[in-house]
Amino acid sequence: MSFRTAHTVADALVAMAAGASPIAGGSDLVVGARAGKFALPHDLVAIDRIAELGALDVVDGVIRIGAGVTHARLMSDPVVVGQLTGLADAAALVGSPATRNVGTLGGNVMNGSPAMDTGAPLVVLGAMAELSQVGSARTIGLDELWVGPGLTSAEPTELCTALVLPVPVAGSGSAYVRLEYRRAMEIAVVGAAAMVVLADDGSVADVRVALSAVAPTIVEVSGLGALVGSDVAAVAAAAQAAAAEQAAPISDLRASDRYRRHCVGVMARRAVEAAARRAAGEVIAVPVNRALGIGAQ
Amino acid sequence: MAVVDDAPSTPRFVRADGPDKVTGSGRYTADLTLTGQLVAKFKYAGVPHGRIVSIDTSAAKAMAGVFAVLTQDDVPDLRYGDAVSDRTLFARDVVRFEGEVVAAVAAISAEVAQAAVDAIVVDITPLPSVTDVEAALDDDSPLVHADWESYHAPGGSLRNRNDASYSVISKGDAVSGMAGADHVVSSRYVADASHAAPIEPRAIVAQWEGNKVTIWTTSQVPFQARSGVCEVLGLPSNRVRIIVPHLGGGFGGKCGFHFEAHIAALARAARRPVKLVFSRAEEFLAPDRRREGIVVELSTGVMANGDIVARTGRVIVDNGAYTADAAFFPQLAAMHVAGPYKVANVHIEAHLAYTNRQPSGSVRAPTAPQSCWALESHTDEVAAVIGMDPVEFRLRNCVATGDVGVMGQTYDEIGLIDCIRLATTAAGYGAELPDDEAIGVAVGWWPSFPTSSGAYVKLDADGAGQIVTGAQECGTGAVMTLRQLAADELGMNPEDFQIVYQDTSAGPYDMGATGSQTLLNNGRAVQLASRQIAAQLRDMAADRLEANPDDIVLADGSAFVAGTPDRAVAISELAADQMGGELLLGHGSSAGRTAPALTNSTCVGDQGMAAWVAPQFSCHAVRVRVDRDTGVTRVLSVHTAHDSGTIINPIGALGQVEGGVMMGIGQALTEGTQYCDDGRQRNAALLEYKLQTSADAPPIHTQFVEINTPNAGPNGAKGLAEAPNVATAAAISNGIAKVIGARVPNLPMTAERVWDAISAAGVGEVVR
Repeated sequence: MSFRTAHTVADALVAMAAGASPIAGGSDLVVGARAGKFALPHDLVAIDRIAELGALDVVDGVIRIGAGVTHARLMSDPVVVGQLTGLADAAALVGSPATRNVGTLGGNVMNGSPAMDTGAPLVVLGAMAELSQVGSARTIGLDELWVGPGLTSAEPTELCTALVLPVPVAGSGSAYVRLEYRRAMEIAVVGAAAMVVLADDGSVADVRVALSAVAPTIVEVSGLGALVGSDVAAVAAAAQAAAAEQAAPISDLRASDRYRRHCVGVMARRAVEAAARRAAGEVIAVPVNRALGIGAQ
Repeated sequence: MAVVDDAPSTPRFVRADGPDKVTGSGRYTADLTLTGQLVAKFKYAGVPHGRIVSIDTSAAKAMAGVFAVLTQDDVPDLRYGDAVSDRTLFARDVVRFEGEVVAAVAAISAEVAQAAVDAIVVDITPLPSVTDVEAALDDDSPLVHADWESYHAPGGSLRNRNDASYSVISKGDAVSGMAGADHVVSSRYVADASHAAPIEPRAIVAQWEGNKVTIWTTSQVPFQARSGVCEVLGLPSNRVRIIVPHLGGGFGGKCGFHFEAHIAALARAARRPVKLVFSRAEEFLAPDRRREGIVVELSTGVMANGDIVARTGRVIVDNGAYTADAAFFPQLAAMHVAGPYKVANVHIEAHLAYTNRQPSGSVRAPTAPQSCWALESHTDEVAAVIGMDPVEFRLRNCVATGDVGVMGQTYDEIGLIDCIRLATTAAGYGAELPDDEAIGVAVGWWPSFPTSSGAYVKLDADGAGQIVTGAQECGTGAVMTLRQLAADELGMNPEDFQIVYQDTSAGPYDMGATGSQTLLNNGRAVQLASRQIAAQLRDMAADRLEANPDDIVLADGSAFVAGTPDRAVAISELAADQMGGELLLGHGSSAGRTAPALTNSTCVGDQGMAAWVAPQFSCHAVRVRVDRDTGVTRVLSVHTAHDSGTIINPIGALGQVEGGVMMGIGQALTEGTQYCDDGRQRNAALLEYKLQTSADAPPIHTQFVEINTPNAGPNGAKGLAEAPNVATAAAISNGIAKVIGARVPNLPMTAERVWDAISAAGVGEVVR
């Protein structure tokens, strides 16, 4: 059993090449081990003190969010709240103040839970994951990264160092809403994120919708391109129908498949409506769930 | 009648244990470490019902670092139980629920103890599980306890096969009453089991010195824990000392005798102190204190003018595998299904069905929230049938001062009608609301439990006071309020007293933090003890001031002749005189209270719940918003009014109501245990068993209808700890039904169940 603290990404990659697992906030790793889901890894390398993983900057039309950026920062950072509002909505719904202060975006993404909150907004905002290992680095789409519940295509020696997203175009807005049964310490029953771009005449120029907790991974709703040019109400209704149809939910302790399928449609509609209002310039406070009385309100 | 409100002017009282708890300097049981201490782990049955073929502990015993491995073969072989002697310390021959303890290990570390537990081989032949409480009462149901007829039943329970205790309450002629009604309304409601879920999982440390054992434990009832240890290990009470450090919540879940004897037996066998700390999963699975699931079927006969003329009902309470203290639950549930109403003709039968699930036991107001939810949901249905406003219908039918209740009890001054008026007025009942909102209203009631309880009070030579009490603080503040009662009797400040408590070898007997009884009974004991010292002080002051003791006033830390406070002698000065003289020692013991007379009713299977001493009444008015698209319900505000007699400590009382309401909201909307078909729990974890959080708490406004109640607690107080938990879920149910136009027949009324009810009613989803 070993534990070491890395101070640079290079240090961390060397440790991982030797078999260590990375730990940042530990809000999945330690809690899961305590609950008996899995044993703690034999060797751990702490990455929470690596300064470059905590960077969040905008360069040449690209927003780069270091993997070590916490949910607490995402929900209040002006760049995220102003331009990636759906991601801020999601970060603000995660766990409690304690989990948001230690839990990181990279940890959430690499944990690969289909119920993760930040995943759906990252998809609709066009995020890619930056993965590094000793001697190489690559940037891959999230659809390529997530391959099943808790499973990613990353090598055990690869560290997620950042999420990179394009700066959204003018006239766009995003939102994430989820069905939840209480206001804190909650996990999505189902959730939906939307990104909407409005044309000057108020019609929808672009729309993307992604869903949480209705499939083995976060999934993007397909076939919405045909709606370009329609008004927001028509797009929202179509997104509701498409989301419910394309979802492949399971029945478990939190909900039946039937209820999940229905509710993910409702969430998709509300996400599109909220994203469109933001695209039109309206300021809806983060998170949308609280501002608009969705879920536990 | 006076009304105490939760206005900013309400007096604030800082509880003595508060600073220790919030700064972290207070110590809980799991914080204790003794020299040489070992770690205990239990081997559980893991299956809900089966016959033990063999238990092989040889591999576990041979492991390095293992100091003791115990099974039923290692302890006195006797059956015990509160009302029915239906269980043994460790499973013998048959296991009857998944969390039953089969063996226990004490080892050098948690890891070694767990490895030893895993090395114990238990061969169990599965038996069919009894999980349906209604089918459990069928003549052809498998028996949970095949030998039940041979079990001793010290509580005198009426028993029949899987029916562990049944009760029938009857008044008038329900058949003809029903036949003469203009309308008969029938309902069926089913409540899931739930949990007390204290945030502190239980912990126990046991240490032997010679033939005496000290046990530190997370108990709400240390004296019952002591008697349990004495009974099963064959020890006299003066060789067993139970100490409870700060208790991190209980809610009834830590009432009863649980695992203290297991750990004491391990410590004796290992010749070392032994400590047990439960995981969260164990806290859900192992204790015999789940809140019982209940099936309620009831019918009400009503006249077109709004008079209720008859009520019948059948109630089945899920007992689980062992009876714990649940023998009185059927009668209590029947009383709550009958309700605080004037009904001439009543017939309600109630049963306690054994199943292969975790045992049920007293969780805050046992049976009441679920039964009240069923009754008060039904009451709104009855009002709707005759087209009467449900609040007006309650005002017309509920019991008032001088009325005769369901068991033939004539009520002295009570404030139920005042409670209804105050809560509904404060909530703005009747005003126009958005179409997805409504105010639901329900009334509740609950008995007070007068019984024996003792305390000592002493003033030392420096004038500092100590209260030495058997009472147990579980977080309610009831023990903390004892200082106020002593101070009032002695003309001193509450801060002048320290409390020595939660130690069975220090304080006299008290029933514990159970039955809302601490202040009701121990408060009287402290008053009596304090009055003895007050009399001593008056005599001493009378000598000094050359006055009659009867004329001496104790106030502001001094004694003086009434009317001449400028010629006062300090109490601390009098206290200093006790050295060489008579010590300032008082002792008090509360007594039970005379039960009210009953007329013209019968109760078969009476477990002492027929006549209610100093009954408490309440009304909750809850404003809800329902998301019709998803069924998610949000409680926007709660307005309550409570008659709990005189309010002694307003801030403590308000805290009780707010906590009870939050527990009620959880039970209404999110808290329910889900089971596999065979009776094992599926959501034994806090992520999937959803307690309400502080972020969910709505504004809660409370008013107390103060009635100085004779034949009750100190200064005319009644109990208060459980009553606030009774009516909330029912009021929420009525609010939801108003919004969606349909009933949710299951508790908790989860979002999916609300959505199902919306879908079934065809009022459907509103697509905007």
